[in-house]
Amino acid sequence: MTIQEAGEALRSRSVSAVELARAALSRVARLDSSLRAFITVTGDYALERARLADRELAAGRNRGPLHGIPAALKDLFAMRGVRTTAGSPVFDKFVPESDSAVTEKLEAAGAVILGKLNLHELAYGITSANPHFGAVRNPWNLERSPGGSSGGSGAAVAAGIVYAAMGSDTGGSIRIPAAFCGVVGLKPTYGRVSRFGVLPLGFSLDHMGPLARSVRDAATVLNAIAGRDARDDSSARHPVVDFVPEEGCSIRGVRIGFPANFFFERIDPDVESSVRGAVARSQSLGAVVKPVRVPDIAALNAIGQVILLSEAAAVHAGHMENRALFGEDVLRLLDQGRLVAAADYVNAQRVRRRMAREFDALWREVDCLVSPTTPLVAPRTGDLTVRLGGSDEGVRMAATRLVRGINVLGLPALSMPCGLSAEGLPIGLQIIGPAFAEAAILRVGAALEDGGVGIPPCPLV
Amino acid sequence: MPDWKALALARGLKLSGKELDALVQPLEALDAVFRPLLEELPPELDPAPVFSPGEQPE
Repeated sequence: MTIQEAGEALRSRSVSAVELARAALSRVARLDSSLRAFITVTGDYALERARLADRELAAGRNRGPLHGIPAALKDLFAMRGVRTTAGSPVFDKFVPESDSAVTEKLEAAGAVILGKLNLHELAYGITSANPHFGAVRNPWNLERSPGGSSGGSGAAVAAGIVYAAMGSDTGGSIRIPAAFCGVVGLKPTYGRVSRFGVLPLGFSLDHMGPLARSVRDAATVLNAIAGRDARDDSSARHPVVDFVPEEGCSIRGVRIGFPANFFFERIDPDVESSVRGAVARSQSLGAVVKPVRVPDIAALNAIGQVILLSEAAAVHAGHMENRALFGEDVLRLLDQGRLVAAADYVNAQRVRRRMAREFDALWREVDCLVSPTTPLVAPRTGDLTVRLGGSDEGVRMAATRLVRGINVLGLPALSMPCGLSAEGLPIGLQIIGPAFAEAAILRVGAALEDGGVGIPPCPLV
Repeated sequence: MPDWKALALARGLKLSGKELDALVQPLEALDAVFRPLLEELPPELDPAPVFSPGEQPE
């Protein structure tokens, strides 16, 4: 059931918000000892909010499509009075006195927050094998990684526990778990959604966005959370529109860029085949598919790494005295960041500006760009390397290869399921657009979804 | 290319040889891609200290 369907059931009083919340909590009780998607379950609070939602609906007050809908937050988003750990012992006693902007907006829209979701420690990694709160498992195959860093968000949505979950994306951390868990993930434009009240990782790379069961559900959440917030210096004044594509929306004449370089190099053949299938479907729906050469994504990835190493080291400089608080991989990244020269950080930001201009030229040729989200399907938990295109590659570098550069550019990007591998694991299609063109990429995604691009529900559902 | 091991030691990181290798190897690989990007940067190109993808924030 999607947010739209659940909302209709709520408004017609065929189901109550309390019933939806109880069903979600019962799934948490049944599944989460295996999935480890949650760090904190706010069951009593959720039921209290669900009762309020029901009372309001009974009194004729409808807050909109999220009214009474169960959702959850990556444990990086502050929620007043609820421990917010960032998946790290550094923050295991941190109880915020106020909400993040996103928490505020979701609750104002009537969403019922079920709890705080597990993640890769400090959101700094892509496996969500959290050494402190347990390794999140992929609902499609419990031996596989859900991706990360928003791994709990991907798992909770894929397992049918919540209708939507919030994630953050600094180098792919919404889109990677969306791809590995077979759900939709949206990284909006930098500045579109407030970062206020979310523990930073890379100030200039962090994006907040939803993971959801369908493209329209992700758009529905974006409607609730987008917009200017004076408490976030990077928050944009760009006008907020209705992001939800209409039923039966058309993509006739939309120019879809198909990268002739980089994005299809060294990828799993099943991934390539599914993505090409989705592109062919877009053509049959009337889109104009244009082969394009994209600027140097490997260079974008490199400057993204330099910027992230530096910014994350700055964020956590004050916590480095107690090295025992960090997992091995995160500690290594933080140590690496301490070695990057200030001049290299500044120069990375200069190259970033130049490359953003180069990328701007692409949008004169096409309306969006499609690619695989990741070159691989969900790896086995604990695997450090993957074999792609005849050579071994680190899982972290492989998983971020097609997504990290888009954070450097700050552009909106959607990941949606487009097929299953021979092993039955989800494959993600990435749709990238110009700055603030979320409505356009969501429209392409919704038209593809309407046109049959997608996967069956997770067997766990 | 920076001498990453020397930098790590100068930073006071107390790491075993194996840990030091694991720290340095990814930086060497990154540097091999990153350093050439700086060769033709025009002096007048400003950094993007407050990044904005399409408009200036308030």
